[in-house]
Amino acid sequence: MRRLMRWYGANPLHLLALLGCFALAGYAAALLVPSRPLGVAVWFGGAVVGHDLLLVPLYWLADRSAMAAIGHRAPPLPAIGWINYLRVPAGLSALLLLVWFPLILRLHTHYQASTTLSPDPFLWHWLAVTGALFLLSAAAFAIRLRSARRAVTPPAPPAGTPRPTPPRHDHDHDHDHDHDVSDDRT
Amino acid sequence: MNDAEEPRPATEVRHVPREHDGHRSGRLARRPALPEEVPGPFRRSFWRSPIRGPWLTSVLGLVLLAGIVVLFVTGLLSYAAYNPDLSGINDQTPGKGWFGFYLFSWPTHPEWLYRVNQGTHVIVGLALVPFLLAKLWSVLPRLFEWPPVRNPAHALERLSLFLLVGGGVFEFATGIINIQQWYVFPGSFYTLHFYGAWVFVAAFVVHACLKAPTVIRALRSRGLIRELRTDTAHTRPEAVSAGSLVSPSPAAPTISRRGALAFAGAGSLLLVALSIGQSIGGPLRRTALLAPHGQDTGSGPGDFQINVTAAEGGITAARTGAGWRLTLSGPYPGTPVTLTRAELLAMPQHTAALSINCVEGWSSGDQTWTGVRLSDLARLAGVQHPASLLVESLQHRGGFRRAVLSAGQVLDPDSLLALRVNGADLSLDHGYPARVIVPASPGVHNTKWVATLTFGS
Repeated sequence: MRRLMRWYGANPLHLLALLGCFALAGYAAALLVPSRPLGVAVWFGGAVVGHDLLLVPLYWLADRSAMAAIGHRAPPLPAIGWINYLRVPAGLSALLLLVWFPLILRLHTHYQASTTLSPDPFLWHWLAVTGALFLLSAAAFAIRLRSARRAVTPPAPPAGTPRPTPPRHDHDHDHDHDHDVSDDRT
Repeated sequence: MNDAEEPRPATEVRHVPREHDGHRSGRLARRPALPEEVPGPFRRSFWRSPIRGPWLTSVLGLVLLAGIVVLFVTGLLSYAAYNPDLSGINDQTPGKGWFGFYLFSWPTHPEWLYRVNQGTHVIVGLALVPFLLAKLWSVLPRLFEWPPVRNPAHALERLSLFLLVGGGVFEFATGIINIQQWYVFPGSFYTLHFYGAWVFVAAFVVHACLKAPTVIRALRSRGLIRELRTDTAHTRPEAVSAGSLVSPSPAAPTISRRGALAFAGAGSLLLVALSIGQSIGGPLRRTALLAPHGQDTGSGPGDFQINVTAAEGGITAARTGAGWRLTLSGPYPGTPVTLTRAELLAMPQHTAALSINCVEGWSSGDQTWTGVRLSDLARLAGVQHPASLLVESLQHRGGFRRAVLSAGQVLDPDSLLALRVNGADLSLDHGYPARVIVPASPGVHNTKWVATLTFGS
C-alpha cells in the first residue's frame, strides 16, 4: 500500500476525493453532453483557455505598451506612481465591456424583439462610464501630483513607477531594460 | 495587475536557478531543477509579479468560496422554484436523474422570495467576475507547470482543475450571455447551466478541500490587517519557499496586494452599482446603466418590463378579440366551461400588488393586478381541492407557453387570472385578454394570453 501511494504521489484521501469529484462530474457530464457533445466540449475547452491564453496576453501587452510608451515620453514627474491611474480606469472599463459586450456592441441578440427596449443606449452608457472613470482618475492623479510637488521630493525616475527600496539587486539593470523595450518600439 | 511579466533578458536567466536552489528541498526535491532549459512560460522565472503568491491567491479564493456557495444555493432554489417535480412540462432538464434529490413544493410566501433569490444569484454572479479573473491571473503560472505531469496524483489533480476552470468560466459565461439574450450557446440555457453547475461544483468542492491546508498556511503567513495597511512602496514578495506561485525573480512592485484587492473590489462594486437597479425597480431602475432591464419604460399603467412580446408569441388582435374564450377543464361532468372576458369581469374581482420576477434577475417591481382568483375558477370547474393546474397560452411559439401550478399556488388568495393591471385593461404585450399572476413564482410561470385552465384533482 505504501509503495502504491508513493507511486501515486499523494495520500489515499487525495485519490478518494478526486475519484468522488470525477464520479459526480462524470455523471453530470453524461446527462449534459448527449445533447450537443461537440458544442459543449468546445465551450468547456474555450472556457479553460479563453482567459489564460487570450485575455492575459492582451492585458499584458496593453500594460507593457503603456509602461513603455508613456514611461518613455512622459515629462519628469514627481516620484509618484502613475501607472495605476491608467490601469484602474482602463481595467474597469474593459471589465464592463467584457461582461456586457453583447449589448454594448449590439450583437444580434433577441433583446429588442423580446423586451421592446432599445439596444442603443448601452454603447453610450459604457462610453460615458469609461469617460467618467478616466476623469475621476485624472482628477485623483492631479491632486496627488500637486501634493507631491508641494512636498520637497527628489526628481522622479523616468519609468512610470516609484521604485523605492527594490527587492532585487539588479534594479538598475531592469530599469535600463525598460528603455530598451520602448526604444525598440519607437 | 500583470505588473511585471516581461521576460528577463537572456543574460539574467542563468542566475535564476542559483538564486533559489537553496529552497529546493523537502517536498520540492522530486521536481527536476532545470528551469533554464524549459521553454518560455514553463520557466518559473518567466513570471515576475512580486505580489503573486499563495497569500493573494488564498484571499481571492476565499472571496470566491463565499460567493460561489451563494450562487450554488440560489441556483438550486431557482430550479426548485419551477416545481419541476410537479410535471414534465415544468422541467427544463427532465433527464436530471439524482440531481432533483432536494426538490420541494415551491411556496408562495414570502412574496419576495423568488425576486430576492434571483436578484441575488445574478448580482453575486456579476460581482464575482473581477475576483474570478483576478484568481485566474494569480494562478496563471500553474497552467504552465513543468514537467506537465509529475505523478498520477498530479495528473488527476490537473484534470480536476480542467473541470474547475472550464466549468467555472462556462457557468459565468452562459449566465452572463443568457441575461443579455444572446443565445449562442450549444443548446438550451437551462440544460447547459444546470448540468454545467454540477460539473463545476464537483471540481470546486474537491479543490476547496485539497487547498484548505495551503490557504490556512498562507493566511497565517501574513496578517490580513497588516497587508491591507501596506502600500506599494513597502510591498515585498513572499518567500520563494512559500510555493511555486512566487516568482524567483520578482520585478519591483507597481501595485500593492491591497491595491490589487481594491482593484477587484472596485470592479465588483461598479458592476453591482450599474445593474442592481433592474432588480430593485422604481426610481432606482434608471441607475442600472449597464443591465438589460435598466431602461425606464414610462409611467402609464402598462409601462413595466416585459420579456416576451405578443408578436414573438404569435399573438394577434384577432385571436384575442371578441371571439376569445377561456376554457376551464376539470375531471368532472359539466366541464369544460367556457367564459367570455365580460363573464370573467362579472365574477368577484380581487386585487393584489405583485411583481414579475425573471430568472434573469430583473424585476418589474410591484404592479397592482385585478382579476379572478384561481381558486374561484377551480370551484367553477367543479374542483374543490385542486392538486394542480395546467395553464395553456394562445402562444404558438415560446418555451413557456404552458406551465403547471401546484395546489399551494392555485389556492393562494393572491393567485389570480388577472384581467387588469394598475387600473387599466392589460395591454396585448402584458397578456391581454387574461394572464396568470402567482406570488413568488418565476416570471415565465405567470402565463400570458391564457386560453385554457385544466384543474387536476
